Amino acid sequence: MTDNIEATGNQDTLETIIESGNTHYRRMRVVKRLITHVFLILIAIYAIFPIYYVVINSLSAGISLASVSVSSLLPLPTKLSFQNYTGLFRFQHGALLNIWLPNTLFYAGSATILGLALALSAGLALSRFRIPGKKVILYMMLILSTFPFVIMIIPMYDMFSSLSLTNSYAGLIIPYSAGAVIFSVWLIKNYVDGIPLDFEESAQIDGYSRTQALFRILLPMTKPVLIMAMLLSFFGPYTDYAFINIMVTNGSLWNMAMGLYAYSQVSSQTINYGQFSAFAVVMGLPIFLIFLIFQKYLVSGFSISTYK
Amino acid sequence: MMLNSPARIKENVRSRKWDWHGYLFILPVLAVLAFLDFYPLAFGIYYSLTDFSLAHIFNYKYIGARNYLFILNGNIPPLAVLVWQTFEWSLGSIILMSSFGFLLALLMNQPGLRGTRFYRTIYLFPWAYPAFITVLIWKGLLDYNLGFINKFLGIFGIAKIYWFGLPSTSMLSLILVNLWLSFPYYTFVYTASLQSVPRELYDSARMDGYGTFGSVRKVALPLLKRQIAFVTIFGFIFTWNNFYVPFLLTNGSPGTSTFILITYTYYEATNSLPNWAMASAYAMISVLIMLAVVAVVNRFTKMMSVIY
Repeated sequence: MTDNIEATGNQDTLETIIESGNTHYRRMRVVKRLITHVFLILIAIYAIFPIYYVVINSLSAGISLASVSVSSLLPLPTKLSFQNYTGLFRFQHGALLNIWLPNTLFYAGSATILGLALALSAGLALSRFRIPGKKVILYMMLILSTFPFVIMIIPMYDMFSSLSLTNSYAGLIIPYSAGAVIFSVWLIKNYVDGIPLDFEESAQIDGYSRTQALFRILLPMTKPVLIMAMLLSFFGPYTDYAFINIMVTNGSLWNMAMGLYAYSQVSSQTINYGQFSAFAVVMGLPIFLIFLIFQKYLVSGFSISTYK
Repeated sequence: MMLNSPARIKENVRSRKWDWHGYLFILPVLAVLAFLDFYPLAFGIYYSLTDFSLAHIFNYKYIGARNYLFILNGNIPPLAVLVWQTFEWSLGSIILMSSFGFLLALLMNQPGLRGTRFYRTIYLFPWAYPAFITVLIWKGLLDYNLGFINKFLGIFGIAKIYWFGLPSTSMLSLILVNLWLSFPYYTFVYTASLQSVPRELYDSARMDGYGTFGSVRKVALPLLKRQIAFVTIFGFIFTWNNFYVPFLLTNGSPGTSTFILITYTYYEATNSLPNWAMASAYAMISVLIMLAVVAVVNRFTKMMSVIY
């Protein structure tokens, strides 16, 4: 399906061939194209603007929400500076670089590894083994995935505090790794369903056992869906605020989302908007770039997940 | 290495027998789900039947359905209002996002249109930047006094708009921010499905004298009906449970006019006088209504049949 996305394009269609001789139609077509492009460009501006806005604000020294204006958003290149960034890195004795950023990467990274291992073994098995009650398990997962996290959060807090897991790394990483697991299992199962059995069969003829064939032959073929599942499991914990806000009171366990939220809550009049913008760029830009680099996998993954 | 006989392999890979040993692979995921979903869920249901709150934190007891009766009869804001606002939020968002995404996909799917790859990359931006951050950026952009949008509109002589200040407009503002966040996803999914329709079908509709929109109505819509229903319904579920947009932008204000069930649940559980029993009851009500809506819609659209 995604291959088609890439291949859109400039094929001449019937329409073009029939109408190419007629100047009136040709003019109509040019006008139609023009209107289309105007629309598409307006929507492009709409899509880009907030991100442009925050990047420019982060590079404008001494900007405040009150002083943002059309001219401040179109500054001369010479007026740009990294002052907000240096200020941000000094903020609260370097909390961002020393505490929030490492914590966030640690939470999201370990949750991704754990969650992916879980989802991989379950996804492969649900696709390739005839497991009794498979349909029940799949439907159960589907229904569970429609439940909001807030339903679980109160009992979980209770459970975790009796296990002394609140204010601990484990108390965050374990739930984080489960966060995207259902979706990843579904993705992997659906993807593997689409791979013919012949590969494993011939591997078995070559002497592999069934499990060996699964992990040595099939596993390398699932790379696109693994990348997709990996990124998804990473994004969730990376920007989690709602869960950590309840589970953690100890400032040394904060992640970047907690820091950014605290920053944004200072009343809009007094907030150092330049530093807030710098924070938003430092936290968001890496994810943004990763997303654009892996867009092929992500977009194809989403079309697999929505329909086969 | 011992060669396996083809007969034995037939029994292996394409076996029709139940395979209990597959459970070893899915056991870890099932254990995680039991620990982090079923156990908390069961306790959530139990808590909703107790008086577990700050006042009774150590001596809460079973009180039957009293919380539910209180929610139905007396609590402020009334349940009907919260449910109405939740529908306003999720239906309003999904109708807008889904139709905007579909129209944009149609615009970009015109044969021979130049620059579609460029536009497509740009339209990824809102999806690629973490929503937690862009929502906070929009909050600054739409600020009444200092926000850039009002300043920009002022240049054209348009009076300042109370984006988040009035009960009558703030829900609409939430929906508009959500449109920015979500239209890329719908555009991409619908582009993929439009391209799965063979071009020749459009061409023959053209030959029969249908215009652009006529051929879409006669060719694409009937073929994609079920996919559109599926994407829209899952979008509805996702929006119903979408926590961060309403939480970060208004968290219910002004008054309680932008609370949806899930943000109100979080508010009940985290305000200065938390009532965890009431929060659990609200969460249950939210899930029950959502599942009921999905079940009813599924009866009419049979969209679940896309999965199997």
